[in-house]
Amino acid sequence: MLSKLFESIYSKIFVAIVIERSKSVVYIQVSSKKHTPKNYHKSFETTEFSTKMKEYIDSFTGESPFSYICVLDYSEDQGAIPTCSTKDMSVFGDFSASKMMCHENEWAYFTSATGIETIKKTYAEVGIDFIFSSFSVLSSFFKDKIDTHLGLFVLLEDNYITLGVFDKTKLLFGEHLNVEHDNDQDDMMMDSTDSEIDLDLDSSIDLDDIDSMSDIDGLDDFGDIEDLDAIDEIDEFSQSQDDEILDEEEDFLVQDPSGFNEDYQRFIAIQSSVNRFYKDSKYQSKFIETVYIADAIGVSPDLKTYLEEEMFFSVFVRHIDLGGEIIDLAKAELK
Amino acid sequence: MKYSYIKPRKKSIISGELQLIFSFFSITLFMLFLTYAFLLFKDYRFAQNIQDIKQKMVELESSVQRMNSQITFIEKEVQLSERITTKNTVLKDSIANLFDLVPQRITLSQATLLKNGLILHGVTPNKDVYNFMLQAPLRSIFHRTYSSFYESQNGWLRFVSTNYIDEEELSLESPKYEEVKEVDDEN
Repeated sequence: MLSKLFESIYSKIFVAIVIERSKSVVYIQVSSKKHTPKNYHKSFETTEFSTKMKEYIDSFTGESPFSYICVLDYSEDQGAIPTCSTKDMSVFGDFSASKMMCHENEWAYFTSATGIETIKKTYAEVGIDFIFSSFSVLSSFFKDKIDTHLGLFVLLEDNYITLGVFDKTKLLFGEHLNVEHDNDQDDMMMDSTDSEIDLDLDSSIDLDDIDSMSDIDGLDDFGDIEDLDAIDEIDEFSQSQDDEILDEEEDFLVQDPSGFNEDYQRFIAIQSSVNRFYKDSKYQSKFIETVYIADAIGVSPDLKTYLEEEMFFSVFVRHIDLGGEIIDLAKAELK
Repeated sequence: MKYSYIKPRKKSIISGELQLIFSFFSITLFMLFLTYAFLLFKDYRFAQNIQDIKQKMVELESSVQRMNSQITFIEKEVQLSERITTKNTVLKDSIANLFDLVPQRITLSQATLLKNGLILHGVTPNKDVYNFMLQAPLRSIFHRTYSSFYESQNGWLRFVSTNYIDEEELSLESPKYEEVKEVDDEN
């Protein structure tokens, strides 16, 4: 009774921490009964918890004792299974070291217990009140569609993909994928192709050298040593030109594929997950026609094109404010 | 509905520092109240002790009075016993003297000691023996002496000698006697 009175007097501070590939974003919402909620957010160029992040959070949480800090679970050992029954869970794997959460007695999402402890330990300085699964964010965000449609629902984060096949509130298949990990493999592949390119460039340099030699033959009329020195300069010049070309090529490889490859990589990940759903007899297989994408990163239209052209899906993309959605979940849980 | 893997921490409007300050103050206040209660209890115990002591004093005073009265009574008893002892001694001496007075030829059968007199019953061979050997000393002691004789079967005479000391004459002889008597009457 007394605590409710104090809750009505003080404003509530909701803090959502979202870890991205190379940065952390802190979303803050200050809500009170009298005023409309105020939203703030700030990015920190680190994925670890820093003193600057603590100072930023403390500057808000110090205003009210009713502050809630939420984190989106970023552990890789999370997932979802289409049952809440402990008997049926064994079919989908060993969950003895996992924390299970049953969603409306229909399906369950899980994460590793050590992952939760790691998150708690990481943010021990500010304390953690809520750790949400990407699956609960996904199901909450697409609640209007999940309740009535059969389809593949995807949450796209910077380095993770959370996808679930729902058939009218019933989960058929769920998976949490780390795209960053796959990209590392890609980078390794890119490194190997770079070396091949280098080899080709070496050969091209040789050809250039031959060309330059032929030019030298054409310049025999000069017949002095200075010209030979000039040849060296020409060689150096040609080499520096090659370096510039190489740099330009490297820039092209770095810039352009970042959009192209990531979307393709995401497409490949989604495709392989859909294949697993169709092929694995553990899951009740149903034909997917529609894909709903919750886009938290502003993905390019390429992914939609891939999914439509390669897999013949009807694709709907809806932008999601991840921080706001996490805060909404925290509010819903507090009610 | 529950979405989070963990439960939110309990929220309190009182911060840790304030909790510490409040706990210090509450401990101090508690100790003060404890001391105050202790002093009140001690005060109450002192008052109770004083009352007990006063009651004991009253009881002791009454017992002292009782004992004093007992002592007085005992002293009186002692005085009485002393007086009786003295009287008995005097009586004993008187009886001894009396028996010393009686000659061997006269046999006493009964002797009655009165407050101011002596009655003797006995047997004498004849009146002369009685008159010379017993009556003479009796007359020297008592103021008035009366004797009566009657003959017994064996020819001897049975006698009854009644002797009295007159107090008026005794006071004239020794004035101290009267004073002692008055003192005894007062007691």
